[in-house]
Amino acid sequence: MRKMNDRNRTFLLITIPILALFICFNTVPLIRGVYYSFTNFKGFGDYDMVGLRNYMDLFTDSRVGRSYWFTFRLAVCATIITNVISLILALGLNSKIRGKSFFRAAYFLPNVLGALVVGYIFNYFFTYILPEFGKMIGSEAMSGSMLSNEKTAWIAVVIVCAWQSIAMNTIIYISGLQTVPEDVYEAGSLDGATGWKKFKHLTFPLIIPFFTINMVLCVKNFLMVFDQIMALTKGGPAQSTESISYLIYNNGMSGGQFGFQSANAVIFFIVIVAISVAQMSFSARKEEQL
Amino acid sequence: MRKGKKVIGAALAGCMTASMFLTACGEGNENSGKTEIEILQYKPEAATYFDQVEEEFNATHDDIHLTIDSPNDASTIMRTRFIREDYPDIIGIGGDINYSYYVDAGILADVSDSDVMSNIKQSYKDILEALEIVPTDGTYGIPYVANAAGILYNRDMFEEHGWEIPTTWNELMTLCNDIQSEGILPFYFGFKDTWTCLAPWNSMAVALAPADLCKQVNRGEANFTDEYREVAEKYLELLEYGPEDPFAYGYNDACTAFANGESAMYPIGSYAVPQIQQVNPDMNIDSFVTPASDTKEGNTLNSGVDLMFAVTEACENKEAAYKVLEFLYEDENIQAYIDDQNAIPCKEGDFELASQLDGMTEYIESGNMTDYQDHYYPSEMAVDAQIQTFLINKDVDAFLKKFDSDWMRYNRDIIREVQEYEEENGND
Amino acid sequence: MKAKAEHKTNWTVMILLILGLITIAFPLYMTIIIAFKQPSEMTNSISGILSLPSSWSLDNFREAMRVTDFWNSLKNSLIISVLTVGLSIIIHSLMGYAVGRNKAHSKFYNFVYLFIVSGMFVPFAILMMPLAKQTAEMGLGNWVGVIILYVVFYMPMNVLLYSGYLTNIPIALEEAARVDGASTWRTYWKVIFPIMKPMHATVAVITALSVWNDVMTPLVIMAGTGQNTLPLAQLNFQTQFGTNYNLAFASYLLALIPIVIFYVICQKQILNGVVNGAVK
Repeated sequence: MRKMNDRNRTFLLITIPILALFICFNTVPLIRGVYYSFTNFKGFGDYDMVGLRNYMDLFTDSRVGRSYWFTFRLAVCATIITNVISLILALGLNSKIRGKSFFRAAYFLPNVLGALVVGYIFNYFFTYILPEFGKMIGSEAMSGSMLSNEKTAWIAVVIVCAWQSIAMNTIIYISGLQTVPEDVYEAGSLDGATGWKKFKHLTFPLIIPFFTINMVLCVKNFLMVFDQIMALTKGGPAQSTESISYLIYNNGMSGGQFGFQSANAVIFFIVIVAISVAQMSFSARKEEQL
Repeated sequence: MRKGKKVIGAALAGCMTASMFLTACGEGNENSGKTEIEILQYKPEAATYFDQVEEEFNATHDDIHLTIDSPNDASTIMRTRFIREDYPDIIGIGGDINYSYYVDAGILADVSDSDVMSNIKQSYKDILEALEIVPTDGTYGIPYVANAAGILYNRDMFEEHGWEIPTTWNELMTLCNDIQSEGILPFYFGFKDTWTCLAPWNSMAVALAPADLCKQVNRGEANFTDEYREVAEKYLELLEYGPEDPFAYGYNDACTAFANGESAMYPIGSYAVPQIQQVNPDMNIDSFVTPASDTKEGNTLNSGVDLMFAVTEACENKEAAYKVLEFLYEDENIQAYIDDQNAIPCKEGDFELASQLDGMTEYIESGNMTDYQDHYYPSEMAVDAQIQTFLINKDVDAFLKKFDSDWMRYNRDIIREVQEYEEENGND
Repeated sequence: MKAKAEHKTNWTVMILLILGLITIAFPLYMTIIIAFKQPSEMTNSISGILSLPSSWSLDNFREAMRVTDFWNSLKNSLIISVLTVGLSIIIHSLMGYAVGRNKAHSKFYNFVYLFIVSGMFVPFAILMMPLAKQTAEMGLGNWVGVIILYVVFYMPMNVLLYSGYLTNIPIALEEAARVDGASTWRTYWKVIFPIMKPMHATVAVITALSVWNDVMTPLVIMAGTGQNTLPLAQLNFQTQFGTNYNLAFASYLLALIPIVIFYVICQKQILNGVVNGAVK
C-alpha cells in the first residue's frame, strides 16, 4: 500500500507542474483569444465588446464559407493521395533493393526544404515547365498554368502539399512494415496469397495502427495548411485557394480583423477537434474489428 | 544506463550555463548617462542606409544614443510590440490605413511643433492629414519620402521605334496598337501576385475618381459603383495589351520579363526599379504618368507617402526625438536616401531625382499629385484579390456591387465613428 | 551479409524508385544551380533556368553568410533547437509516462491526456497576440520564452507518441525494480527512460525539424531583442518589392546541412522508435 502511494504521488508530482506549464502557455492565451472573439479588437488600441456579432458575421461571410470548402476539399484529397503514395513508396523501399539507406534519406529531403524554395520551384514548374510539356504533347488542358486557373489551382496546392508530406508518412509506414514478421508471409505464401491479396489480407491489417497515426497527422496538417498557400498562391487566383489558417493569419494579424478572426479560429478549433476525435474513435473501432 | 543519466545531467548543466551566459550578454550594452532613442522603421531594403545614419548620428552626438531597427516583417513586429506596450520612440511607417489606425488609437504624438515640419511640401502634409479617420487638431507624422506609380517603359525601345509618351487615354490606346503591330508586347503584368493588380488600378483611379472618394463613401455621400465604373472599364481595355495569361505570372516574373525586353511597358511603381535592375543592370528605364483621363489636364501623378516618421505618445524625451528627426531630415541625408532607393523627397529643396523618374518630374515639381486610393482600403477587405477576380471574370457590375457591399461590412466601425463625428460637428 | 546476398534484388521496384527520385532530384537540382547563379542569369525561359551557372563561384554563399550574420544566427538557432529538443525529451517523456501508465484506469489522467492532445489543434494565430503580451509581462520576451513556448507547443504531439510507445513496455519491468526497493522516480530513470531511447530519437527529429524551420514564434516573441535565428535572418532576402532568390537559395542550402546531418544520425533510431511504439 505504501508503495502504491509512492507511485501515485510521483505521478502527481510529474503531472501537476507540467500541466501547469501547459495551461499557462496554451490554455490561458487561448482563453484570452476567446475573449477577443467577442470584441472588435484590431490588434492594438482600444476596443469594444460586440457580443456575438463576430460569430453571426462568420455564418454570413461567403469568404469564410469558401475557405472552409477549399480547406476541406484540400484536406480530403491530399490525405488520400499522400497515404496511397506513401504506402506504395514504403512497400517499395521495404522490398529487396540495394542502397536502402540512400533512398530513405533522399525521399526525406522534401520535408526539409524551406517554404520559399518550394514555392519558387513549384511556381516555376507550374507556370513554365508544365505548360510547355502540355503544348508538346498537344494537350489543350495542360498548356495553361495550373496556378492561374480557378478550377485547377487547388489541385496544384494538393500536389505540393502531398509532395512535402509524403516523406514523413513514408517513414512511419516503413516502420510499420518492419513489424510484419517474416513467418506471416511464409504462412501466406503457402496459402497461395500473392500481390494485392497478400497486401489486403496479410500486410495491411498488421499496419493499421500506423495508418491511424498517419491519417490523424495528415488531416490535422492539411486542415491547418498555411505555408504552402503562402508560398504558392497567396490565396489566388480569384481568392479560390484561401485556406482557413491563411484567412485567420492574414486578416487577423496583418489586417485589422483580430476580433473577428479570433471567432473564426475558435469555431475552427472546435470543428477540427470534433473531426479528430471522430476519426480516432472510428479507427479504434476498426482496429478492434480486425 | 548510468551513462544516459550522466549525459542528461551534463545537458542540463549546459543549459543552465548557457542561459546565464546569454542573459548576462543581453544586459551588457547600456550606455549610462545618455538619452536612448530607438527608431523602428518598416523598410528593410533601406537597412544599409539607416545603419549609416545611425553611425553618423552617434559619432556626432554625445548626449543621445540612437538605435535604428530595420527588421523584416516590421508590421508584425510593430503590432506585437504595441500589444506588449513596448513602444519605440520613433516609428517609420508608410502613409496608409495603418497610419490612420495608429492615429485613431492614440499611439502617436502631435509633432506639429517640430522644426522639420516647416520645410515639408504642403501636398504631402495634406495627404497625411486626409488619412486621419476623423479630422484632428494635431499632425502626427512627418513625411520623409514618397514613391510614385505609373507606367515604366523601356527608353531604348521607345527611341528606337520613335514612340511618343502618351498624354491622354486615346493616345495610350493608339500607342499600344502601334507597339502591338510591331510584334512587341505593350504591357507585362504580374497579376499572380495580387497586390500588383493595385498598381494600374491606383494610377488610373487618381485621374478618374475623386481623391477623397473613400471618405465620401464613409460619410454616406457617394458610392463606388458610380465612381469606379470608368476605372474598371478602362482597366479591362488595358488588359487586352498584356500577356495572354497575366494571372500565371508573379511580380518577379514580370520584372524579369520587362528587364529582358519582353515588353515595352510595365505599369507599376517606381519601387520596382531595383528588382528590374537586378536582372538587367544596364537597362534604360523611364516612367510616365498613366494617362487615364481623356484630356492631358485631367491627369495627375499617383504619389503617396512611402516613408514617414512619427513620434510615439510613449516617448519619454520628445526633445531628443526631435533632434534625431532634424538630423534625419538634413538635406544630404535625404539625398542619400533617394539615391539609394529611387525615392521622391517630401521636403522642399533642390534634390537630384533618379533618372527613372524623368517623365514624372513635371508633375512632381508642380505638386500635381494624388494619393493612392488603396491607402484607404482596409487590408482585410483584400481589394487586390477582388480586382484580380474582376480581371479574370470581367464582370464590371458584379465587381462594383461587391465592392460597395464589402466596403460597408469591413468598415462598419470606421463608418460609425465618422458618422458620429459628423453629427457632433454638424459638417453641413 | 551473405544471407542478404542470397535474396534477389527486385529490379522492377528499384527502377520505379529511381524514377520516383526525379521528383526529388529535379527541385534539388534547381535549388543548387540557382544558388550558384547571378541575378542577371535569371530568365523566364526553360532552357535558361535549367542551364548550369556560368561559373561555380562561392560568392553567393559568402554574401548570404554575411547578410544573415550566419555564425551568430546559426549559434542562436542551434542553442534554441538543442535546448528545446533536450527539454522536450525530458519533460514530454515524463508526461507521457504519467499519462500513459494511468489513462486506462483513471478518469483524471484520461482527461489530462485528451486536454493536452487537443492543444495540437489550436491555431497559432489566435495564441500569438495573447502570448506576445503574456511573455512580455513575465519578462520572457526573449529566447528563453521561445524555448518555453516550443516545449508547450510540441507537448501534445510528443505526449501522444510517448504514451503510445509506453503501452508496449510491459509493466512487469517496473515491478521487478520495485521489488528491489527502488522508488517510482528512480525506476523511471533507471528502467523506463533508457528503454524509450528509440522514441527519444523520433521525438528529437520531429521537434528539431519544426523548431529549425519555424519563423513565427521567434518573430513574435523575440521582436526587438536584436537577436536573429536563421529563418528570421533569411527573411532579409525577401521584401515586398524585391527578392534575391540566388542569395536566398544559397542561404537555404546552408541552413539545410545541419538538419540533414541530424536526420541521418537519427534515422536508424527513428525507424526502431516507431516500430515499437505503435504496435500493440
